[in-house]
Amino acid sequence: MNPIRIALTKGRLEKSTIQLFEKLGYNCDEVHNKGRRLILSIGDGQFEVVLAKAADVITYVEHGVCDLGVVGKDTILEKGSSFYELLDLGFGKCRFALACKSGYDFYHGYGAKTIATKYPKVTRTFFEGKDMDVRVIKIEGSVELAPLVGLADGIVDIVETGSTLKANNLEIIEYVTDISARLIANTASLKLRKNEIEELVKKMEAEVK
Amino acid sequence: MKKNLKITPEGTKDYLFKECTAVDYVCKKIQKVFENHQFHRVITPALEYFDLFSTDSSGLSAESMFKTMDNNGRLVVVRPDSTLPIARLVSTRMQNEVLPVRLYYNQAVYRNNPSLTGRSNEIMQMGIELIGSKGKRADLEVITTAIQCMQAVCKDFRIEVGHSLLFTSLIDSLGLTDDLKETIKEYIENKNYSALNDALDKLEKNDTVNAIRKLPSLFGGEEVFEKAKKLIKLPEALEALDYLNNLYKDLSKLDLGDKIIVDLGLVQQNEYYSGIVFTGYALGYGDAILSGGRYDKIFSEFNNSMGASGFAININHLAEEARYHSKSNIPEVLVFAKTDDDIMEAISYTQRLVKSGVRAQFSDLSDEKEARQFASKLGINKFEIIGE
Repeated sequence: MNPIRIALTKGRLEKSTIQLFEKLGYNCDEVHNKGRRLILSIGDGQFEVVLAKAADVITYVEHGVCDLGVVGKDTILEKGSSFYELLDLGFGKCRFALACKSGYDFYHGYGAKTIATKYPKVTRTFFEGKDMDVRVIKIEGSVELAPLVGLADGIVDIVETGSTLKANNLEIIEYVTDISARLIANTASLKLRKNEIEELVKKMEAEVK
Repeated sequence: MKKNLKITPEGTKDYLFKECTAVDYVCKKIQKVFENHQFHRVITPALEYFDLFSTDSSGLSAESMFKTMDNNGRLVVVRPDSTLPIARLVSTRMQNEVLPVRLYYNQAVYRNNPSLTGRSNEIMQMGIELIGSKGKRADLEVITTAIQCMQAVCKDFRIEVGHSLLFTSLIDSLGLTDDLKETIKEYIENKNYSALNDALDKLEKNDTVNAIRKLPSLFGGEEVFEKAKKLIKLPEALEALDYLNNLYKDLSKLDLGDKIIVDLGLVQQNEYYSGIVFTGYALGYGDAILSGGRYDKIFSEFNNSMGASGFAININHLAEEARYHSKSNIPEVLVFAKTDDDIMEAISYTQRLVKSGVRAQFSDLSDEKEARQFASKLGINKFEIIGE
């Protein structure tokens, strides 16, 4: 049988997931000494790890070239469509928040608000829920800049400690939603390789609870 | 728009040679299964009025359809599904036919998928519709046909079966808003345990909420029914569960072992399902390739009440797999006419060879040297000259 292939979001989520695998007793030496390789074996070869950017983790899992994936809820909300979300892994915690310049009355008046964000879908859904029709501008880099230079009334972005906001004289108006790392599965893989995947999920669940 | 001269629209592609052979191969195998079950072919137009697919129960979003207008300004779509056109056809053209009728189709459906996802917007589909009968006999006939299709064209596969009334009866008994119902349905469909738990925690605790909480994890073999029977108390849901259990017992007589799975969390996106639902997966492909079930409700849109069930199977991927096994179709003999006076004789001779079972081709090149080069480049072993 081929190994179960897991796509990991490079960086912090990758490290936390590997720690989790080690706690469960799987050998992760190859990941620690990965060099330039992109596909790595863990355990006794029953799993294979692929490192990718967050949005690509979803793409690989949706197309079934990876059976499982570890990705942040932020990316799922923005990019996700058809896969199973099996487990909240409990690490990689942060929040989506709406923020604007300190002292600015965001909800004041009837003018349509402009929001700068890296997450247009999340932003749209949030304001649709409030029956507000806003203009969304997609920004690729530091979103905090947009309200400061007058491009937007507010921003929707990921907030961990809030120190970047504070340093730029911005304040949180409202939290949009909580975020953490999730274990996702390809729909066909879960059916075709049910036992192997369920066994891993059960072990992970017991560890992260 | 000359810049689009050399590309096909996103999500479409050309099929060449072996790819076509593979499509034909897969279609023939499935057609054989359909015809062995006495299903008869129908063809519906590629263009239909938007109204047919914009019903509440169609489950198709307006964004996912390719739309255009007819010359009276009426909205027309390129067919995104074949079941609704067939329901229309049966309700109108076949009013006086003896029921039940067994129909099959082999035609593409078109979906306007989001860009750059690698999905096909043109999906070749074959499927059956068994119309005018309800109950276990019809359900088993349809599922068995589906299983035989999977057996005919895939090496390894799984068919999962569920019952749409299981979830709908449970959720309806809670008296929630449509929005919340939709959200919970989505969480179950995506097996999103954590979000489902959060949503259900906000509701009053009772047996039904507890059963819904467990639905996405209730998939597997016979043991699923034992677990479910302990959880589900609602009579309508129990009835659906019993029905599914009986069906599963019958299907296990086919001796397919773990190839048949039960998934009580199988809720289809299309609202029109009103009984059993099933989905087929093939090894090596990340998405369902077969889906179907019972959709009696569909005919209520046409002021008609009759039973209807069936399924559709996606051909594209199966053909990709089959391509690797399809045989060479390079000619064995190239027939060349020495002079223009020999052309008719050469053409007849070629056809005589073909009738005797040889893959022969008449050379349409007039220069012998060019013709010989053509044969050697293509790998045609034998070169015959007429008129020498």
